[in-house]
This record gives sequence, C-alpha cells and structure tokens, in this order.
Amino acid sequence: MAIWSCTDDHCNADTESLLDATLTVTDETLNDINFVENLSIYSPEWSDSIYYSESGDDNVLGFVLSPFSDTTEIVFTSKDAPLNDTLFVYYQRDYTFFSQECGFVPNFEIDTIFHSYNYIDSVEIINKEISVDKNGKIQIYF
Amino acid sequence: MARFKYIFSLILTLISFCSFGQVATDSSLYAPAKVKEPLVFKGVKLGVNVGRFSDYLFKPERFSYEGSVDFNLSHKFFGVIEAGYSEIALEEENYNYNSEGYFYKVGMDYNMLKKHPTDYLGMGFRLGRADFSHSANNVLIDDQHWNAETLTIDSKSYNTYWLEVSFGIKGELLKNVYFGWSALVRISVAGRKDGQFQAIDIPGFGKGENNINLGANYYIYYQIPFNRK
Repeated sequence: MAIWSCTDDHCNADTESLLDATLTVTDETLNDINFVENLSIYSPEWSDSIYYSESGDDNVLGFVLSPFSDTTEIVFTSKDAPLNDTLFVYYQRDYTFFSQECGFVPNFEIDTIFHSYNYIDSVEIINKEISVDKNGKIQIYF
Repeated sequence: MARFKYIFSLILTLISFCSFGQVATDSSLYAPAKVKEPLVFKGVKLGVNVGRFSDYLFKPERFSYEGSVDFNLSHKFFGVIEAGYSEIALEEENYNYNSEGYFYKVGMDYNMLKKHPTDYLGMGFRLGRADFSHSANNVLIDDQHWNAETLTIDSKSYNTYWLEVSFGIKGELLKNVYFGWSALVRISVAGRKDGQFQAIDIPGFGKGENNINLGANYYIYYQIPFNRK
C-alpha cells in the first residue's frame, strides 16, 4: 500500500476580511415594507449586488471593503423603498502573508464613516479592525 | 603546694587541647577540598553550517549560508558567534516575494561531557538578531465583488530579535575536523511583526508567522591547531 500526501497549489482557505453591518430598524414605515428582508447593497465599482435574503442573517449583512483604495462607497437599497442610502467608509489598509497557496490578504482599520440620511439615522463603529481572523463590526440604525 | 597543683592542671589542659587540635586537623582523615580551576582558553573552532546547502535541493527559492566561531574555555564552556546571510526569491501564481538580509547570533554552549572533553554533548543558548528587507509584487487580491487587481508592496527594512536554545553533539572524526549536529528552538522576542506586511521568512529565525520555530543545524568545524598537544 502506498501512502503519500499531496497538496494542490490552490488556496482553499476562507480569506475574506469581512465588515459585518448589523441593521436595526426602528422606523415602523420601513418595517411595514420589510426593509431589511428586501435589502441589497452594492458598490458603484461592482458588477453585482449582495442580497440580504441570500447572504444576510439575524439582521447582519457582511461585505468586503475595497483592498485597492482607502475608501469604499456602499449603497443600501430596498425593493419597496423609493430612496437609497450611501455609506462612505474611510480606512487604512495593510497586507498579511496568509500562506504560500493563498498569498497575501488585506487588513483594514476603519477611520470614519459618513452616510446619507434618507433612512439611516446613525452609524456606530463597534469593531474598527478587520482581518481574516476577526470581522469588523458596525451598527446601522434606520 | 596547692598553687603548683593548679598550674600543673592548667598545663595539662592546654596540652590536651593542643593534641585534640592536632587530631582534628589531620588531613589524612578527610578528603581534600576540590580546587576550582580557573577557565583556560583552549582554542578556536571555525564552522560552516552545511545543512544550509540542502536548500539547493529542497528550497530552491532560497540561497543562504552560515558560519560560526567558537572559543573553547577549559572544554567546558564555549563562547559562540554565528552569522549568516539569507535571500529568498519566491515566485507564485498570486505573488512574488523577495527578501534578503543578514543575521547574527551570540551565546554560549555548555559541555556536559567529562570523559572525552574535547568532544561535545551539551546545551547552548543564543541571542539572535536579523537585519533584512523584503518586498512583494504582482500581489493578486482576488475578491468576488471587487475586480481582481495586482499591487506592489514596497521594500521595507527592519530588525528581529529572538532567543535560541540548542541541544547538540560535536565529535572529532578527523584530526582537527569536527562534525556536529544540534536541535534548535527559536523563540521570537521582538520585531517579528511588520507594520506593513509580515515576512515569510526571517533570516536565521525561520517562518515569520510563527512565534516559535524548530530547526536543526549540521556543522563542520575546523579546530585551529593552537595550544593542542
């Protein structure tokens, strides 16, 4: 019997450095239109969106900040809400060597967040440091 | 008459005390005290870490060398200075990584052999320092939403310090030529983490992501024929 070990050269680890947004809706008119359940987010630089119904859970929706810029613009839109809200996240970034197969992964440290006020009341930064090991955390009040 | 009696008794008492003192200091009844000999300089050995040549076969991305000088003190303690150079050029699908730098180690070996004191079996410790620079280019950050882009992480220099504990052997297999092997534990003390990005390999210390690295050295030494009978 031959025993050998083999490794492919592909990265099989989860290397996403996520920023989790906890969504708290206190506005009854937004609850009436299932604002969170119908929520999706996108960046103008993306070609797709992240849907809460697919990727969110327990009022938390995670996304990745741009690894190539110190600012990320994220638009919040909900199916039956006539207006959108936009979040501007300003941060510093560096890179950590993760493994020979996966290479480098970005780390972020949030400096500040600006937002529009169509539905968002306020944004609180809970955990400003984001890495593969630990997600960042913000709380958004609608 | 009574006075003479007292004087005679006193003299006898003194004589008996003196005799007792003579018996008590009779050296034939006691083992001689060990005389602590001062450490004597016995010679110098120059060494080359031949284990590093195995990199040509097993780690072709790395080129490194390492040498040592040790100062023999009474075949019991050896003051050791080790130094080397390491260079890495790693080309992967999603990044290229380059680093180069020097490392230095200073410490002491303690020989536990008593019967064949010119050979060595013992423990040692070192304080190590690496001065090196590293950089990365063609770093591909791939994310399902952000378009994949490559970026360059500029060259940066920094220092790392570590403590090293070793257990090893050395034997004189040819006249003035010693072969030695030692197992090593390296414990990071300071500077392992870079503010910009972490080193893949720190010269002399090993994997940058680890706090503790294990390793082994394979040395050939030449004993300078000085002060040898």
